[in-house]
Amino acid sequence: MSFSTINSNVNKTTGDSNNNTTENSSTADLLGMDLLQSGPRLMNTMQPNNSSDMLHINNKTNNVQQPAGNTNISSANAGAKAPANEFVRKLFRILENNEYPDIVTWTENGKSFVVLDTGKFTTHILPNHFKHSNFASFVRQLNKYDFHKVKRSPEERQRCKYGEQSWEFQHPEFRVHYGKGLDNIKRKIPAQRKVLLDESQKALLHFNSEGTNPNNPSGSLLNESTTELLLSNTVSKDAFGNLRRRVDKLQKELDMSKMESYATKVELQKLNSKYNTVIESLITFKTINENLLNNFNTLCSTLANNGIEVPIFGDNGNRNPTGNTNPATTTAIQSNNNTNNASPATSTVSLQLPNLPDQNSLTPNAQNNTVTLRKGFHVLLVEDDAVSIQLCSKFLRKYGCTVQVVSDGLSAISTLEKYRYDLVLMDIVMPNLDGATATSIVRSFDNETPIIAMTGNIMNQDLITYLQHGMNDILAKPFTRDDLHSILIRYLKDRIPLCEQQLPPRNSSPQTHSNTNTANSNPNTINEQSLAMLPQDNPSTTTPVTPGASISSAQHVQQGQQEQQHQIFHAQQQQQHHNAIANARSDVAIPNLEHEINTVPHSSMGSTPQLPQSTLQENQLS
Amino acid sequence: MSTIPSEIINWTILNEIISMDDDDSDFSKGLIIQFIDQAQTTFAQMQRQLDGEKNLTELDNLGHFLKGSSAALGLQRIAWVCERIQNLGRKMEHFFPNKTELVNTLSDKSIINGINIDEDDEEIKIQVDDKDENSIYLILIAKALNQSRLEFKLARIELSKYYNTNL
Repeated sequence: MSFSTINSNVNKTTGDSNNNTTENSSTADLLGMDLLQSGPRLMNTMQPNNSSDMLHINNKTNNVQQPAGNTNISSANAGAKAPANEFVRKLFRILENNEYPDIVTWTENGKSFVVLDTGKFTTHILPNHFKHSNFASFVRQLNKYDFHKVKRSPEERQRCKYGEQSWEFQHPEFRVHYGKGLDNIKRKIPAQRKVLLDESQKALLHFNSEGTNPNNPSGSLLNESTTELLLSNTVSKDAFGNLRRRVDKLQKELDMSKMESYATKVELQKLNSKYNTVIESLITFKTINENLLNNFNTLCSTLANNGIEVPIFGDNGNRNPTGNTNPATTTAIQSNNNTNNASPATSTVSLQLPNLPDQNSLTPNAQNNTVTLRKGFHVLLVEDDAVSIQLCSKFLRKYGCTVQVVSDGLSAISTLEKYRYDLVLMDIVMPNLDGATATSIVRSFDNETPIIAMTGNIMNQDLITYLQHGMNDILAKPFTRDDLHSILIRYLKDRIPLCEQQLPPRNSSPQTHSNTNTANSNPNTINEQSLAMLPQDNPSTTTPVTPGASISSAQHVQQGQQEQQHQIFHAQQQQQHHNAIANARSDVAIPNLEHEINTVPHSSMGSTPQLPQSTLQENQLS
Repeated sequence: MSTIPSEIINWTILNEIISMDDDDSDFSKGLIIQFIDQAQTTFAQMQRQLDGEKNLTELDNLGHFLKGSSAALGLQRIAWVCERIQNLGRKMEHFFPNKTELVNTLSDKSIINGINIDEDDEEIKIQVDDKDENSIYLILIAKALNQSRLEFKLARIELSKYYNTNL
């Protein structure tokens, strides 16, 4: 009854091939039963009748397999779905053909199927159709295709007509006689790699199952090519991963290269900056060198223009070549630079120090004490010795000055470029740049500020060097408070501190004028002193030039005699220097002149008539 | 070459500095302490030059530097020895007197009682290449450095007495 019902359904579905289908089904069943019954005979004997049956069976088997082969070919052409879907199609065929009605069959409503006997299913069906003997694997495979087991309550199990031990499974697209629905039954979406591996394995399994049929070579080849394509894709993706990593690595290297390039550019800019700085320094030095050459040329021109001095040079050269150098240099320096007008006075005064009488020592000190400075002068102290810095700063503050300290020549230059000071005290031996060279550079942009050399080297050659570099005066180390005070009085007495000047352009002229006055007064004083000595040494001599030569000669002799005892007389020399300066001051001031007249009437009377002559002589020289 | 002063301290100069203590009570003492530190540093630098580079110009500069600060404070014997180091570094002088001669010039010889004036003689031995033309100057400078250390010690003793403290 059940069999006829199924046949009736088949007839309805495929009307065109009704007879053929029916015959095939009937034949398959009969052959199956005969095969089972005649098993022993076939094994025992090889009668012609049995042989004919075997051939017939083989032919029919091939006919049955052909539709499956066609399906495989069609699936392969469709893509990777065929192998993945084969499991479901195989199960569908078993159910549609009703090969094992007592083991697995459709349910009555045809929307699900049921495994009646799991034991026989495992032993008879799985090995023959699915190549394994594990019911759990079968169930797991169903799950992968989204089949679900139909759950029953305990009561339903007892009443179930299929038996308590039966397993029922259902899928929306898996229904009796509904072959089209198989195309929609697919594996659940897994990881991409798993898909590749599973597809490869499925293809290989399928290939193995088909391998037992040498009569179907075309199908095998197609499956093989599909497998190769899959494997190629897999390798390609691995290569893709490697390429991706290489791309990332190259990107990092590119970023690092960019950073290095940027750093290199920064360093290049720094080097350019340093190069420009060096170029500027070279230009500055070139300018200074040119100035020195110009000064030297001016010196030569002055000597040539002053024809009168040529014979003097010749006469003195015969007697005292060394001593004669100083007056000429002094004169040249005086004519070269207004700022240096005070310098020759200092040089000359220094030369005459040993000749000054001791009786003048007390009076100048007393006079000096009465002079006071204005408050607020700003002094730049260029010194690298910490003890000297503290000592000198202390002295300066005592006299109402403010002090700025730098420790080397380069700092002095940069400081004087930015700020102005009333006075500069410059050490000579210092790190980085010595004081004399620093002064030369400062003079290229500042010819007004008085710069005083502080040093222990006060030989004649040293003095000339300092003056030539543009320094105004020398303060010999070690110096006393009074020594420093004398310098301040000399250069700041008639000045107003810069911090009190509201209109620099207007006040700059008075300063220049003041400098000029100071410079002009010194030569007169020197001449007066020279003339004052005449009555004592050579009353009968009337030539103005002779006294200078005489003084120079005396200086030279005494300098030589005292060379070995220079250190002992250092303090005394400093004191005499101080006295000479004070004496010069007293000669300039009118009240002091009156005082001097009262004290030394004869000397005063002797010098007074000579002043007009020295003035005229100076005019002629200039 | 001039003669070394007989007085360890030129009190004319130092008293002027001490007079500054009117408004800053420890001004002069601070300067002395600073000088002591500066002198010890400079002596060490000179010793390193004599043991190492043996650069005469560097020794000249070090001598000049310490001469300035010692002279400013009135420590005239130290200043004198430093001037010798300076001039030897410039090869302007070719002689340095013996320690005994210099000690005999002290006006107050009692200050050396209890002092071993030969204590630093070991350091005077320096290795010099006889072929080097500077060797004679280096030996003399080493001798002068030894003397300057002795003068430094004597000056500290005298200053300690004045300030009633161990400088």
